[in-house]
Amino acid sequence: MALLEIKNIHKAFSGNMVLKGINLQVDRGDVVSILGPSGSGKTTLLRCINFLEKPDDGEMFFKGKSHNLTGINGAEISAIRKRTGFVFQNYNLFANKTVLQNVTLGLTSARHISKHDAEKKAMSVLEKVGMKDKASSYPSQLSGGQQQRVAIARALATDPDIIYFDEPTSALDPQLTAEVLDVMRELASEGMTMIVVTHEIGFAKEVSSKVVFMADGVIVEEGTPQEIFVNPKQARTREFLRLTDF
Amino acid sequence: MFDQNTIELLLSSFPKILEYGIRVTLPLAAIAFVLSTVLSVFVAMVQYANLPVLRQICRFYIWIIRGTPLLVQLMVAFYGLPLLGIHSNPFLMAIIVFTINEGAYSAETMRAAMEAVPAGQLEAGYCVGMNYMQIMWHIILPQAFRTAFPSLFNALISMVKDTSLASSITVVEMFTRTKQIAGQSYNYLPLYLEVAVVYLLFCTVLTYMQKKGELVLGSYGVRK
Repeated sequence: MALLEIKNIHKAFSGNMVLKGINLQVDRGDVVSILGPSGSGKTTLLRCINFLEKPDDGEMFFKGKSHNLTGINGAEISAIRKRTGFVFQNYNLFANKTVLQNVTLGLTSARHISKHDAEKKAMSVLEKVGMKDKASSYPSQLSGGQQQRVAIARALATDPDIIYFDEPTSALDPQLTAEVLDVMRELASEGMTMIVVTHEIGFAKEVSSKVVFMADGVIVEEGTPQEIFVNPKQARTREFLRLTDF
Repeated sequence: MFDQNTIELLLSSFPKILEYGIRVTLPLAAIAFVLSTVLSVFVAMVQYANLPVLRQICRFYIWIIRGTPLLVQLMVAFYGLPLLGIHSNPFLMAIIVFTINEGAYSAETMRAAMEAVPAGQLEAGYCVGMNYMQIMWHIILPQAFRTAFPSLFNALISMVKDTSLASSITVVEMFTRTKQIAGQSYNYLPLYLEVAVVYLLFCTVLTYMQKKGELVLGSYGVRK
């Protein structure tokens, strides 16, 4: 059974339909890349499946449990969020907390793990993303790439079943992009399940197990990197790939 | 004006005035300030969270309090509360009125400071599994408090001076005590100048504390 399955997600912002019935299936260990032009609904989709936006319609199956997205209650949302991680385009590290506290807070306050155990866990994930030596810095003292690596560590620390990445490198220059993508590549190779909204075609081609191409609120085409990048079936997909100069 | 008698009067009255400043004025301001800050956090949170009915009640409270003079509020409490069967000493009554009055102003300061915290901070809190109150406590309120701190301290400095209005409801604080001494000596101006200097002294210390406080609170690694 799939780890995560979403069916028929609809979302409109003041009458403007942004998601027009999205279906997606993610198995454990999958790396799903979502590509598409700006305004195609990629970010909204990711925000809907972690309830940062309220979907207008749709169903979700997560770890074998079915959830009706219109009638979902706070306890269900909270339980799902505790099993998922989210990495934002602009990092959103807690500005008043150190790097270490950013990583431990979700463990100590939301999961009642002891400070000692939380810090041990935090140091191990910070080491993994190469940020151990900055544990006592504040986010404002770090570069964008460093902040994003801390944000990834923060998501990893809670041992999530899946991590959602919302354009994690869009705010970074090529060098900083490379350091963040390296970390994500390593996670993928370790079998972490991820959904990545990205404009990094190279990364999507190399790392994904599945590529989804979205436009105008629908999934135009999905398949293996080979299917999407080498033999795209839809004209819309071909057009997009041609424009991205890939 | 400053003859030998006046100077002796000023010297002998100074400890008496200062005593009431330290025993009455400062505690009145400090207690009311702490209570009003706590009140303001609740009122601001209700509005920030957009809780239906409670939000309207908070707006109504702010509307009434900001729209009427503090002196009138003191009088209404002084003559009105006994009618409701609440007999309290004037000092306690002054604390209540100053708390409720300052709470309305500080609530707006706190609300603005909370709204200035980027929405992404709240979203990131949800995404690591925290609930609303945990995010408020660990993320939003500390950041908002840092932003609000200078304005809140401003309010405290105002309140220290506004406590002189408590004399109108028979609280014997620093200003009332000065009036008493002045009345006994018929030498008004020097004594009122003297009490003005004591208020100035208090506020100078507070201004210094504000500066130190801002340094202690820091700004999370942002260089100034």
